[in-house]
Amino acid sequence: MSNRVAIVGIGQTTHSGRRPYVNDGELIYDAVTKALADADLSINDMESVMSGNMDLFEGHHLNDAMLNLYSGAAGKPGFKMNTGGTVGSMMAIQGWYHIASGLFDLVMVIGWEKHDEGLVTPAISTITDPAVDRPFLVGAIGGLATVSVAYMQRSGCKLEHGAMVRANASQAAHRNPNAHMREIYSVEDVMKARMVMYPLNLLMCCPTSLGATALILASESKAKKICKKPVWMKDHVTVHVEYGGAQFGIGEKRWTSHMEAGSKLFKRNHITKPMEETQVFEMYDPFAFAIPMWMEDFLICEPSEGWKLVEKGALKLEGEYPVSPSGGVLCTNSIGDSALLRVAEAALQIRGDAGEHQVTREVKQALASGFGGSYWSDLLLLSKTTD
Amino acid sequence: MKAKTQEELIYLNMTMKVPYKWRTGETMGEFFRELKENGIIYANQCPTCGRAFCLPKSVCTRDHTRCTERSKWIPVGPKGTVVTYFMAEQSFLLPTTGEMLKIPFAVGIVLLDGAACILQHTLEETDPEKIKPFMRVEAVFKPKAERKGNIYDIVHFKTITE
Repeated sequence: MSNRVAIVGIGQTTHSGRRPYVNDGELIYDAVTKALADADLSINDMESVMSGNMDLFEGHHLNDAMLNLYSGAAGKPGFKMNTGGTVGSMMAIQGWYHIASGLFDLVMVIGWEKHDEGLVTPAISTITDPAVDRPFLVGAIGGLATVSVAYMQRSGCKLEHGAMVRANASQAAHRNPNAHMREIYSVEDVMKARMVMYPLNLLMCCPTSLGATALILASESKAKKICKKPVWMKDHVTVHVEYGGAQFGIGEKRWTSHMEAGSKLFKRNHITKPMEETQVFEMYDPFAFAIPMWMEDFLICEPSEGWKLVEKGALKLEGEYPVSPSGGVLCTNSIGDSALLRVAEAALQIRGDAGEHQVTREVKQALASGFGGSYWSDLLLLSKTTD
Repeated sequence: MKAKTQEELIYLNMTMKVPYKWRTGETMGEFFRELKENGIIYANQCPTCGRAFCLPKSVCTRDHTRCTERSKWIPVGPKGTVVTYFMAEQSFLLPTTGEMLKIPFAVGIVLLDGAACILQHTLEETDPEKIKPFMRVEAVFKPKAERKGNIYDIVHFKTITE
């Protein structure tokens, strides 16, 4: 039996497309000091400090060595991690392992990215097979456009539903002072945007943002002593997928890592009605069709139901099942930070501290997801109570 | 103006050139040899689950068994079905060559006849009105003398009517 783990401190920077006067270390320092202030702790209280991002994006490999002074990791155990889009959620999960194992009582995990300092698409393309995939799969967007077309073909989802998702996200992000793209767009505005790769137009793709998030995690005994509103990391699942076709759910019987993650997490926690038993989902939603498609893939709703929920307005901030009330990755994508930000935002919803973008229904349990690499999935279940 | 001058002082422009070799391994090597010598697209079969992989895999992801037995190779295609596709309407920097992508650029996710998994390649057709889901296509090969034993030995997939 592993020890229980709680989130006791949350810090995030504001997110933007550029922050020319801040270097990467100073960006991290911003998030770290905010998390420490939130938890009312000092850096000396941390037993381990770990950070993660996508090394190639800033053209700086193993950057944690230079960042130790800012993160507060110097002299402490821990490691740097890079698992693609799931860096952030893996950081939260690694923090969980460190405490659940009984080795540590207080750990800080950091996810960050400065997208303005490099070229994302050539860097991200290097995850695919150089001989056969790299010439044709253009960065992340090639794969995501492909799964979007496949989803529209099999479910009846239309281009307009993607535009509805993006319009909803803009309403949510407008209420989130830390979001990157906070402009409000109507469905018509989104439909008018320049096509990048069919069916994804410029507004249906996530932006390239910069920002950092830091979470402080604590063991149960420590959390109960030092924190008034701990958020419990009740469970989490990580699933890798078979590379080559299966990552698109194409070929044989449709099977994706999201499906496996949802099925495992809900079964293990005896959740039969995810939209009732969890009250909000901060999804890693890097393109507009992700929300309807992955609601189905995570087995939260029935196949071909996702876009109907979008049409009904059920997934809006005020809806019956809010998805990404922070504006999600669609409005803020600082990759190494994005998935940790999902966990942070889900925790804020449970604490009731999300401010302007707090959802209207009471949140007892929340989901957060991470996505990256070749459809590698993380799904986390957070809870207000330990039961 | 002052702000701009200040900003110029606090960042440096840099470029990295990173040359690579990529060893495809014996299995993909054999696939490329067949493509070059005989203009045949091969899939290999997992001895445990029987799935036919195109592109070939030397180990089956699900069974973790070796799939290198040459007698288990079967020719697939050259005809197939476009399961789905994407169309680039904006250019991107290609990491394989460092050049900008020539647009319009249409990629088909092709399920070759006889294969269990997909191959992605460019489509000859770049008019989005004419690319239909599940349309039939056929691989167009370079003339033998020009083939080099890489994925570009297939020029593209052309639309066919049957």
